[in-house]
Amino acid sequence: MNQLTRRNRTTIGMIRFAIAAALMAGGFTAEAAPTPASSEAELIAILQGDGPEADKALACKFVAVNGSAAAVPAVAALLKNPRLASWARIALEAIPGDAASAALRDAAGTLDGRLLAGVITSLGVRGDAAAVPMLSGKLAAEDAEVAAVAACSLGRIATPEAGLLLAGALEKAAAPARLDAVAEAAVLCAANLHAAGKSEEAVALYGVVRAADVSEQRRAEAIRGTIIAKAREGIPLLVETLASPTKRLANMAVFTARDLGRGDAADPALAAEVDQAVLKQVEFAAAGGRLDRAAILIDVLAERNAGAARESVVAGLAAMSAAANPKPLRLAALEALGKVGNAAVVGPLLVAAADEDSDIADTARAAVSALSGDAVDREIVARLQGADAKLLPVLVELVGRRRIAAVAALLPLASHPDEKVRVATIVALGPTVDLANLDVLVVAATAPKSQAEGEAARAAVREASVRMPDRDDCAAKLAAALAKAPAEAKVMLLDVIGEVGGTKAVATMDAAARSGDEALADAATRLLGKWMTADAAPVLLSLATAEPGGKYKTRALRGYIRIARQFVLPDAERAEMCRRVLAAAKEDADRKAVLEILVRYPSAATLAVAEEAAKLPGLEGEAVKAANEIRAKVQPAKKAG
Amino acid sequence: MPRASSGSLSRRSLIRGGLAAGAAAAAPMIIPSSALGLDGAVPPSERIVVGGIGIGRRGEYDLGCFLQQADVQFAAVCDVKENRRNHVKGVIDKHHGSTACATYKDFRELLDRDDIDAVLIATGPNWHGLMAMLAARAGKDVYCEKPCTKNIAETLVHRDTMNRCGTVFQAGTQRRNLPHFAFACELARTGRLGKLKRVYAHPAGMRATTSGWLPEEPAPDSQIDDWDMYLGPAAWRPFNARTLADGFNFEKGGGLVGGGVLEWGSHCADLCQWAVDDRPPPVEYAPPKNDELVCRYADGCELVFREKGWIPLGSCPVRFEGTDGWVEAGDSGKLVLSSPELLAGRKVEEIGGYPATFHVRDFLDCVKTRGKPKGNAEAACNAHLACHAANIAIYLGRPIKLDLATYTFIDDEAANRLRSEARREPWHA
Repeated sequence: MNQLTRRNRTTIGMIRFAIAAALMAGGFTAEAAPTPASSEAELIAILQGDGPEADKALACKFVAVNGSAAAVPAVAALLKNPRLASWARIALEAIPGDAASAALRDAAGTLDGRLLAGVITSLGVRGDAAAVPMLSGKLAAEDAEVAAVAACSLGRIATPEAGLLLAGALEKAAAPARLDAVAEAAVLCAANLHAAGKSEEAVALYGVVRAADVSEQRRAEAIRGTIIAKAREGIPLLVETLASPTKRLANMAVFTARDLGRGDAADPALAAEVDQAVLKQVEFAAAGGRLDRAAILIDVLAERNAGAARESVVAGLAAMSAAANPKPLRLAALEALGKVGNAAVVGPLLVAAADEDSDIADTARAAVSALSGDAVDREIVARLQGADAKLLPVLVELVGRRRIAAVAALLPLASHPDEKVRVATIVALGPTVDLANLDVLVVAATAPKSQAEGEAARAAVREASVRMPDRDDCAAKLAAALAKAPAEAKVMLLDVIGEVGGTKAVATMDAAARSGDEALADAATRLLGKWMTADAAPVLLSLATAEPGGKYKTRALRGYIRIARQFVLPDAERAEMCRRVLAAAKEDADRKAVLEILVRYPSAATLAVAEEAAKLPGLEGEAVKAANEIRAKVQPAKKAG
Repeated sequence: MPRASSGSLSRRSLIRGGLAAGAAAAAPMIIPSSALGLDGAVPPSERIVVGGIGIGRRGEYDLGCFLQQADVQFAAVCDVKENRRNHVKGVIDKHHGSTACATYKDFRELLDRDDIDAVLIATGPNWHGLMAMLAARAGKDVYCEKPCTKNIAETLVHRDTMNRCGTVFQAGTQRRNLPHFAFACELARTGRLGKLKRVYAHPAGMRATTSGWLPEEPAPDSQIDDWDMYLGPAAWRPFNARTLADGFNFEKGGGLVGGGVLEWGSHCADLCQWAVDDRPPPVEYAPPKNDELVCRYADGCELVFREKGWIPLGSCPVRFEGTDGWVEAGDSGKLVLSSPELLAGRKVEEIGGYPATFHVRDFLDCVKTRGKPKGNAEAACNAHLACHAANIAIYLGRPIKLDLATYTFIDDEAANRLRSEARREPWHA
């Protein structure tokens, strides 16, 4: 293909300007530089000409996308140029067909040092099996860098022949650095062989690496590869390595165990055997006093079984959580049970949840909270009946933490004689109560039996109110309660209504602001001043322009200005709001704030308001300046339109 | 009516599995030293020795997050710029109250140190992918700033290398460890929004670019600024001070398809990927139209890079839409929900300003347990694949289709040639 296709030329032509601009910004020669639309012949001419190196470099980039074998000779000629060889390789790695590979192989016979290393790397990237004999020869090159990249390219090409060559090189290499480079390539080769279905060859090659005097890291990689390639037959090696006293090897085994038999290549039988092997290793580590290692392995089990745990795993973890075991083991097992357990472990977890040791109790409660399944919910609710004084508040707490819809079971406990139970019930109702029963919390919040109960109820009312699906119904209910509430509770309820928001909430704020109750008016204007929706604007303007002497007129006006400044509004509406502020504002700061808003949102509508403001005494100069700024921003858009 | 969330479901409980059914995958448990009878002290054997590479402005922020952790010993710093090496050494030594932090110009010397467990890579994006792989082969765990790779081929090799080497890898996608983003993703992932129809990411720019060749200037002494090492895997070009100073943008993405959606997409598209349960990336990519670039997953759900139309919730906004509701979140720490019922009685802690502290902690915990941090290699791989493929669609200006079996583009040779780019000799992975 000597010319770019018509389709490509058209497509590229559409983006030519953008790309050219980007490239020029990057400093490529502007005039005669190649572009995405240059024909292959033009690019070749640039590559073979006497023009700037930068143009040749850029030509290589375009050849990489659209060039053919025809461009190969011109590109390959640059491989011996230290300044342009890397650009040439960009093209030669990308051009399909044997011409590019052949050019790289030819260059390997003439180059040395870094440039030779480069072409060897490119042959590996291209997976050029024809380069294997040449690469074989380079494994023993005097230049260690060349030898290393030759090994790496063989690892990438990954034919059985390449594997044998790497195995042979491992047996011959002497210097540790060279040995490790070959070992790395061999591991890569083995992984590629396994991916290609040649698991036996892979295992054999991994075996050579493991037997060689290589670094711990290479050995760890070979062990991992062996375990994966051997599947069920690899489990003994996994077990052996999990117990290794060498930290790097043991860590690699843990890393491997997390995924073995799972994921894209899930193998249930293998996964079950791995679970059993890991369970045994937990016991082994715990018996040896290696509690940190046992805890990590427990976490491996939890990760492997998240969502669908095997019964044997759950039972094993439950046994490890028993009180007779060391605390670190119990903590790890309890947390794991929360991830993989089911209704069957609620009992043992509840025992731990009432433990005297707060670490154990907290972890167990978190675990029950995290258990999945409706059966767990039913089990907890069923246990409310007949629970003793120690367990009852724990169960109630768990109903709340799991957000179980068990309001009917909780309501009687709101008047329980034990304050602990009452407080736990109020807390649990926060995330569970429905609108029909919200009054229970309102009463507890406005007429508490104790300080602790009052604090819990105030938080619960808020928590329940903000999640109600119909905010206006909720605000109406709270407003009704507000009317009857003791004076000291009114502001608290008004705050909650403010958080609920909505039409009814705004109306309630309006009424409170005009109620004549100083505390309520203060709270209502404060809340309206930070309202999260623009529907508070009319009320704020009304309050700001109320009869003279209103204490919170300035606060209301500034709340109105805030909405004009911060919220997404149609241009005309925002401009009209600004006009109204200019009419109502008594202070220069407020009028200047309006000018800032007008400039911030330039439009024909805000320009008109700025021009009107220029006629206001004391504002002329700044308003004219604002109008000019708006005009400068608006007018180009008009021309374009 | 949308409503902003408030309240205080803590980051810890949210991130570490304090939620009920459908909770985000929890980080592994670390036994507190108090449970081991150590009264909260970190024994030397539990300390993680870290080295930093390319610690510029962003890196210094990350460094601060590492130094906040009691179990971190920062032992070395490497930079091609002498002034940065010395400055960062000063920061580290001051923190540790010693003069022990070693400095290196060549990161390979730092990687050769057996006592270093993990590295923080915060170079420019030119080096991220290759350096992370070289660190992995040296047996180091890696926290690496984003974007993590330059192209599709490097992304796949990067993922495979992390797996083969048993590396704990954390991409610098710290929003995965913030409660409001985690909650939003959980709503999408667990079906609370119904069947997912669209996930939106803010790209903050959709123009493909390539790094240029500025006029040659006299090169400084390599001990002061090592230009050859700065270029690293990038194709050769002469020394230029502007290029040296702009490591943040130099070779951000390779070939002719750098820039584009990659810078912010590696955050926003990453969150979208989390929302769709870290599945493989979209299979279809259309070029931008009306400030939107639409990609389609195999099940029809769309990933939309969108410039406009966001609720003002700060930078890096994302939005997830399902048949039953939607959620939008941004860097202010706030959420907006289509219905308060989506909260289901829960409260989500608002943490604005996208701190990386929790993300660093997640990484360090996983270094100890060999677990998978939130920004693990597989997750980062899928998000970066989506960004690189989107950039190819931008450059070509035509729709492209990705085959998930081979990660090649279907019947589009030019797109396939843009999947990879040769590294400058002698660098290789």
